[in-house]
Amino acid sequence: MNKIIECNHVSKVFGDLVVLKDISFSVSKGETVCLIGPSGSGKSTMLRCLNKLEVIQSGEIIVNDQNVNKVKNVNHYRSDIGMVFQHFNLFPNYTVIENMTLAPRTLKKLNKKEAIAKAEELLKRVGLFDKRDNYPATLSGGQKQRVAIARALEMNPKILLFDEPTSALDPEMVGEVLDVMKALAKEGMTMVVVTHEMGFAKDVANRILFMDDGYIVEESSPSEMFQNPKTERCKKFLSNFI
Amino acid sequence: MIEYFELFIKYLPMLLDGLKLTLIIAFFGIFIAIILGIILCIFSISGIKILEKIANFYITIVRGIPLMILALFLYFGVIKNSMGTNSAAIIILAINASAYMAEIFRAGVQAIDIGQTEASRSLGLSYFQTMRKVIFPQAIKIMIPSLMNQSISSLKDTAILSAITVNELTLTSKVIIARNYKAFELYSYAAIIYLIVIIFLTYLSKRVEHKLNYNQR
Repeated sequence: MNKIIECNHVSKVFGDLVVLKDISFSVSKGETVCLIGPSGSGKSTMLRCLNKLEVIQSGEIIVNDQNVNKVKNVNHYRSDIGMVFQHFNLFPNYTVIENMTLAPRTLKKLNKKEAIAKAEELLKRVGLFDKRDNYPATLSGGQKQRVAIARALEMNPKILLFDEPTSALDPEMVGEVLDVMKALAKEGMTMVVVTHEMGFAKDVANRILFMDDGYIVEESSPSEMFQNPKTERCKKFLSNFI
Repeated sequence: MIEYFELFIKYLPMLLDGLKLTLIIAFFGIFIAIILGIILCIFSISGIKILEKIANFYITIVRGIPLMILALFLYFGVIKNSMGTNSAAIIILAINASAYMAEIFRAGVQAIDIGQTEASRSLGLSYFQTMRKVIFPQAIKIMIPSLMNQSISSLKDTAILSAITVNELTLTSKVIIARNYKAFELYSYAAIIYLIVIIFLTYLSKRVEHKLNYNQR
């Protein structure tokens, strides 16, 4: 009964284009939920609505017991929700360690010493301690994404959102990022992952939501979804991955 | 030839006095222009319609009027005797340059990928913290060459202010010529002095640019 994310009848439009249509779902604490579906189906938009990077037009989203429509301090609301982007979005003017400590220090969550100690520990966890003083430009794509994950973790988020975290990576670097994500899932981090990595979804997700054309078309466990999709649309989509 | 240099030595102190005023007016004018430019830039990227319109209106008007007309109109038409000539010159130069500065700042900020803002905001930083810590430090590197260009351009524009009796380098040369009719000599001295100052400033800006780029690659 520990719902950490709850979406009720959410809809969202960009001008004339309706991108989310009456979306309802929930995520329990510690769960990993994958959003899959074709491009333009609204997965990324859905994810971005969760931390208010996009504003919804109707319905409600409740995250950490806060209604997104009634949030007073959006910065505080966001600091509990980590986000990892397709294009990493590391700050090129800061070193790896500075990238990680910028937010907690600016927001006075940690002092300099604590922030650095924590960042170093996280860097060890993602296997990049030796890159602590490098600038992002000197890292590979996979390394950048691991730093981006570590940067999100530094804020001690209750939820991590991933927006196609491996789509911009060379195939041989996908594994190292997915491994970090798998470890996080195992440790009980609540994660919502927009992905095209069906293998990851199958192995790691507790639940999969299949989206198409702004609707959640199908929602089920990975084994159910991959062995026995209920809808034609989902069957057709998944057949592309075999 | 010897006469040319003798004349130069003779008038150098006067010319340097003119140069001093030129530099003072340029320095304060550009300084105020940068502050005005930042404010206008904040207006035009604020997303608030009315502020955007104000900035747009100001920039259109100022960029559309020749500096000479702006100076004559403001000095003889508006300011009249309510203010010293030098202060008026600084204000006129600042108004003129601020419109260009605003556009340089806007272009610099907008050149930074939107993902940088999103990443920073998603970590919980506010709009202003994001601007100050993430966007501005990156944008400034893009802006430096254009800012330097505009500053050099404004420095040269001070010559136009001789039209409103500012006793800077150009007017000083004119005054001397009125006495001795040596237009070739005096204007060439002025040209050389402007040139030396600007070459020096260009060198400085290259140094700054290089320093800023040094860290990241």
